[in-house]
This record gives sequence, C-alpha cells and structure tokens, in this order.
Amino acid sequence: MVLGIETSCDETAAAVVDADFHVISSIVESSIDQHRAFGGVVPELAGRAHVTTIGPVVNRALVEAGLDPHDPEIDGIAVTSGPGLIGSLLVGLSAAKAYALAWGLPFVGVNHLEGHLFAPLLEQPGLEWPLLTLLVSGGHSMIVLQSGPGQHEVLGETIDDAAGEAYDKVARWLGLGYPGGPEIDLLAQQGTAGSLKLPVSMTGPDLDFSFSGLKTAVVRATQRHGDVALADVAASFQRAVCEQLLRKLRSAMEAHDVKGVALAGGVAANSALRAGVEQLARDFAVVAHLPTLEMCTDNAAMIAAAGLYRLGAGAASSLGLSADPNWQLSEV
Amino acid sequence: MNLLAIETATPACGVGVRTSGGVELTRVVDENRRHTEVLTLAMAELLGECGLRPRDIGRVVVDRGPGLFTGLRVGIATASAFAQALGCGLVGVTSLELLAHGAHGAGVRGTLVAGVDGRRGEVFVQTFALAEALVATSRPAVAVARDVVIQWATNGDPVTFTGDGVERYAQDFGAVPNGHVFVQTVPPVHEALALGLRRAVETSITPLYLREADAVANFTTRERPR
Ligand SMILES: [Zn+2]
Repeated sequence: MVLGIETSCDETAAAVVDADFHVISSIVESSIDQHRAFGGVVPELAGRAHVTTIGPVVNRALVEAGLDPHDPEIDGIAVTSGPGLIGSLLVGLSAAKAYALAWGLPFVGVNHLEGHLFAPLLEQPGLEWPLLTLLVSGGHSMIVLQSGPGQHEVLGETIDDAAGEAYDKVARWLGLGYPGGPEIDLLAQQGTAGSLKLPVSMTGPDLDFSFSGLKTAVVRATQRHGDVALADVAASFQRAVCEQLLRKLRSAMEAHDVKGVALAGGVAANSALRAGVEQLARDFAVVAHLPTLEMCTDNAAMIAAAGLYRLGAGAASSLGLSADPNWQLSEV
Repeated sequence: MNLLAIETATPACGVGVRTSGGVELTRVVDENRRHTEVLTLAMAELLGECGLRPRDIGRVVVDRGPGLFTGLRVGIATASAFAQALGCGLVGVTSLELLAHGAHGAGVRGTLVAGVDGRRGEVFVQTFALAEALVATSRPAVAVARDVVIQWATNGDPVTFTGDGVERYAQDFGAVPNGHVFVQTVPPVHEALALGLRRAVETSITPLYLREADAVANFTTRERPR
C-alpha cells in the first residue's frame, strides 16, 4: 500500500492505494473558492491553504483507509514533485519527506502528469495496453502513447495555451465565472455551435495543439457581432476546441495500433469531449476509458498509483529531492 | 523528553536536537534558501548523531515566523507532519523572540528591537525589554525599515538592534546615534529548544505571515475582470 500526496495547484489531496491499484481512501480539499474572484489560482493563497490543510487531509486519508495514523502499515509514500506551482509543491513535498523520515519508509517524487496517466488504471485495473491518452487540463494539453504503465511517449502537445486555460480566458472575457470549463460547457448546451464563425486552426499533419488564436478569434468575433447570444458563443467555442482536440486524436489513432483510448485531466469532464472520444472509440473498435469526475480533477490516488509503480521499480527518491515546477513528462 | 527544533524563517535552515540526557546538537545547514532540499536530511543526520530514532522524539519545536513565506511553509509543513506522524507534541515559537533570547543570552540589556528581513524595504519587528528577565513590549509587526530607523533616532532612547532585517539596512540602523547593533542574522535554534521545553504544546501551528498574500494586496488596486 502506498500513501499518495498531491499539492501541485489548488487541491490538497491524500490517498491510500493498495498493491492491486484499488483506491482504499481518497481525500481532496480545494482552495478554489479563494481564487474565484481573481479569475485564476493565486500562488500565494494556494500555498497558504496547503500548509493548514495538508495535515488533516493526510490524517483523514489514513483513518478512512483503516490505518493507524501514527504507525500506518504502508510500504511507501508518493508525492507530486512537479510540475506545478513551486510554493504549493514544496508543502506536499516537505510533508511527505517528514512522514517518510518519521515512519522509516521509502518515498518517491512523482511527476503530476504521469499521475494523470495512471488514473485509468485505477478505474479499470485490467485494462489492456497500448493506450492513447488525451491529457487535457488547465495547465496541459497533450496526446500520449502509453505502451504500458510508466511507459509513455508524448506525441503532441499545445504550442501555446492549455485547453483549460483557453476555457478560463474565454469565460473571463464573456464575464462568466472561474473555472471556465464547467461554466462554458453548461452554457454551450443551450446554444447553437456555428452561430459564431471561428477559424479552423492547426490543420497540419502534426499532433500539436494551439488555442491562443481561438481565444483571440472569440474576442474579435464577439466585438464585431455584439448581438450573438452568450450561449451561442459558448457553443461555438466549445465545438472549435473539441473539434481540434478530436481531430488530432483521430490522427494519432490512425497512426498507432492501440487497444484503448483514454481521457485524462480536468477538461476530461467536458461533456462534448467525452462524447467525441466515445465516438472515436466506436469508430476504431477500441475501449474508451472515460474517467469519473473525481479522477478527472487533481487527486492523490493517481499519484499513489504512479508511486506504487515507481517504488516497485526501485526508484525511491532521496530525502534531498527538490521540487521541479517545470518537470516535463518526456523527462520522466 | 527528546526535543527536535526546526528553524527556516530566513534564508538559513537550522535544526537542533536536545536529548532527555541533556545532550544538545544544533546546526545551520544552509544559508541560501534551500530549505526543501536540506531540512529533512539534516534532521535524519542529527538524530543519528544523537543516537536517536525518529520515534524517540517527544516534542517538535518550530519557528513560525515572521520571515520568508516559503521557508516558513517548508519548516511548518515538515514539523507538523513529523509531529503528526509520531503523535508527539508540537510547539511554535517566533523568529523575533528567538533573536531576542539570543541577544539576551549574549548579555545584551535594555531596549532591544529584533528585525527580520521582510524584503521590499520592510522589516518584521518587535521590541523587547531585556533585564534579568526578557519581556516583549510590542507585538510582532511589519514596518518600513527607514521608518523604524527614524522612529528610534528621533526617540533618542538607547536601543540595540538585531536580526537579518537590521543587517540588510546596516548603514541606516548603524547610523542611529543612540543605537547599537548586535550582529545576529539567524534566529538561534538552541533558543528554540530551550523555549520549546517550557511552552505548552499546540494542536496545530500556522505561519505568522504579518502580511496579506500578494494577490490580495494587488487586487484591491487592480480592476476586477468583467
Ligand atoms: Zn492535473
């Protein structure tokens, strides 16, 4: 069993996962309410929240897993050591090291993105590899080919904004709340996609994304046609984002013979994207791995899962490990 | 009871262990803000040198600031997790009182102003009266360094300044005619061990920031997104 700790952004999370990748407990607290007014996560506020929340969250994860919080029978500790907000990462990393030292257990620093890639394994332990995963969140957008657990190759990624970031920026422009993803998704369901003419971007053969131009196009188009209903703008934007993501994912499916296609990251909660990936799976006759809502957003179970694999491979970290706010998945 | 002390309020990182047998080891392991990398390793080292296992620690003392925000979070997250993991007591002390006790222990008497560097021209300050005993005569506060200098120069009473906030503006503080500087940049860990032994344990420790989060301060002057 592994205790996972995640504090890379605004979620303070802890979880216990057993050797068969079963989630025994998973606690997530978020400081999102403190950030809403600013239209984005404020690093200093996130850091302050983590330092008061981390202890109680870890305690709850251990107690709910039926473990003695002062002497838990676990095999190790996994913690996100990057990428993320440095001031947030440091809190989880410091706590994880202290637990490891106190209990005399090995600990391992886990890449947050690799954590997301382990999420499907937690929900479908018997899943078949290889897998193509579309990882989309507020900080990242990429297509990853996974030949097995812990074996991944980034096939393409965003050259500017992340998909979730584009959602946040457009939502802010439209005067909607933060985070923008759920707000736009909800509004889009009442609108007509295509009411607003938006450019089709990134039509090349590569698997990279770009969302910055789309955001600018929304701003320009709404300035020109001030009378377009908000719901129609939302629907048009959502379709353009999903169209680009799914077109690239389809290209990747054509180029790689895989057993399944998976969605991961916060934007994986988007209804249009989920429907599109399901369709894609049907077209290629493969399994669709659509994470539950709890597995889309940042959590510590996925970190524990990645840590379980890394510790099993003998990759424990030194207590001198530092956080790496820019740790690339390709460097794992 | 065996005590462990952690001090990370300034660019330095201090760790100390005091055994129930009275053996005391303290160490400043780094002075370049590398708290995350060095702290837990230093704890392991010191415990080993004292012949103690982590479980032998009965109380953890931590400097809760004021000082470097990230340093405080690393120190407090580490101390709290360590104490929670073992189910042992946790005590918080402040960087300013550690400096004051450090000066007191070195024989400084009279009015003392402890100042920790707050960056951006500011210092975290507190005033103490040092006689046979040590008494705080003001609460920890944040102030513009120059204002503190002017205040004491105008006041004219004899005063001793100490702390890395004083060192940072050494020229200004050194120019106060009625003032004297007691050079001390790192809040002493051995004072944390001494205080930790006397204080009552707390259930949780939070950093003493003395300043709002940047975004909050900036946001009040910035236009709200529409
Ligand atoms: Zn994430």
